[in-house]
Amino acid sequence: MGVTAPPIPGFGAALRRLFVIQAAWNYERMQGIGFGYAVEPILRALPGGPSGEAYHRALARESRFFNAHPYLVALAVGAAGRAEIDGEPPEKIERLRAALCGPLGALGDRLIWAGWLPACMAVALMLVAAGARVWAAAAFLVLYNVVHVYMRVWALKAGWREGLHVAAALSSPLLRYGSELAGPVAALLVGAAMPALMGWLLRGAPREAAAMAAVLALLLAVLIGVVRRRASGLVVAGAALLVTAAGGVLWP
Amino acid sequence: MSGWAFLAVLGVGTLVGLDVASVPQLMFSRPLVAAVLGATAAGRPLAGLAVGAVLELFALETLPVGAARVPDWGPGAVAAGAVLAVTPQVSAAGAFGVVLAALASAWLSGWSVHLVRRANARSVTALAGALDAGDLGAVKRLLLTGLSRDAIRGAVMTSVALAAAAAGFAMLDRGWSVAPLVARLALASAGVGVGLWSAWQLFGHGPSARWLAAGLGVGTAAAVLWA
Repeated sequence: MGVTAPPIPGFGAALRRLFVIQAAWNYERMQGIGFGYAVEPILRALPGGPSGEAYHRALARESRFFNAHPYLVALAVGAAGRAEIDGEPPEKIERLRAALCGPLGALGDRLIWAGWLPACMAVALMLVAAGARVWAAAAFLVLYNVVHVYMRVWALKAGWREGLHVAAALSSPLLRYGSELAGPVAALLVGAAMPALMGWLLRGAPREAAAMAAVLALLLAVLIGVVRRRASGLVVAGAALLVTAAGGVLWP
Repeated sequence: MSGWAFLAVLGVGTLVGLDVASVPQLMFSRPLVAAVLGATAAGRPLAGLAVGAVLELFALETLPVGAARVPDWGPGAVAAGAVLAVTPQVSAAGAFGVVLAALASAWLSGWSVHLVRRANARSVTALAGALDAGDLGAVKRLLLTGLSRDAIRGAVMTSVALAAAAAGFAMLDRGWSVAPLVARLALASAGVGVGLWSAWQLFGHGPSARWLAAGLGVGTAAAVLWA
């Protein structure tokens, strides 16, 4: 454990393969097949190499069920790969993989899906409203992916460094402060982006129309909240738009 | 749309379909990016901007949290951008029809992801013996099969979404009898309505709620000042 970890065997190949970790996503093993494929370059360093018994047993083990956030799964790939190379008992490795699914999924959801992604998209929508045109989409891709790719690299290295003690990496400042900050920052940006975008969509319209649109949006949000157990926002808004379309066509 | 433009849009739609989950998850499947890419493939990038921004508000509700089955916005957004890009005179009513078609496409495309995953599960079951023996060939075969299925899914869904968007545009562009402002107002209200609800769900509890309220205040002030 610690900073003196040996270099990761097959680091580049493992990192590249992390980007296809969900290519064979299925209801049987979820990310398991992709996990096995991503960790495989590391497993080649096992005694006997790719034709050895240890390699095949490890690959079979690593291709079993796994599911977590697709970026943070790199932490588990690094940790499991290190545990295999260190010759840890199979039961311990299986317990490690099982124990990581929940925390990595929950952390990734909070940090990325409900934090960084909406924050970056809100910035892009504000850029649209500010007149950045298609550069807003380009800015989103750059902003989002700088953190995304860094996270995959960091997670693979941290997992490898910590091995079975990967829980230490889960409490690293990057993840701790990141998950604390992601929610408030995203909330502020998303909150600011919506009125700004509405103003842009209705530019040139009378102020009364913009005020009416704001009231209608608020009413729709309340309606979605009321019927949320029966229908999603997409269904409710889609139905409202369909009624409007029918009204627009049938109106005399 | 010319044959080459159609092929370019289909190619973009396929890549965007793959990006959702299979490879590389760089988020060019987000509606704003996908709509601009679709419009770029059809020759007029800017045509995809507004429709992508509106769809992005809808998509805020369906962030891929957990292993939940969610709508797939990419192919529909690509098609929406492409159809608007090849239309010389875009009316608000026509754009309204394209957004409606993109919403339906997103739902249908999300369902197609579920079908691909079920098919992948059947393939895994068929190769369970080889996987349990640690056969790298079986792992690679499953990944290639999964990628191929998802690529085909992306292409098919883009074609379906293109047809739906073209039909939606034509139907409302010709038949809409109310002032164009009503179409813009309805789209903005619906998008922001779903966005508000989604933001409340994501950030309406705990310390983030204050920041959401602050953001709404700042955004409203900015919108009023810029108007």
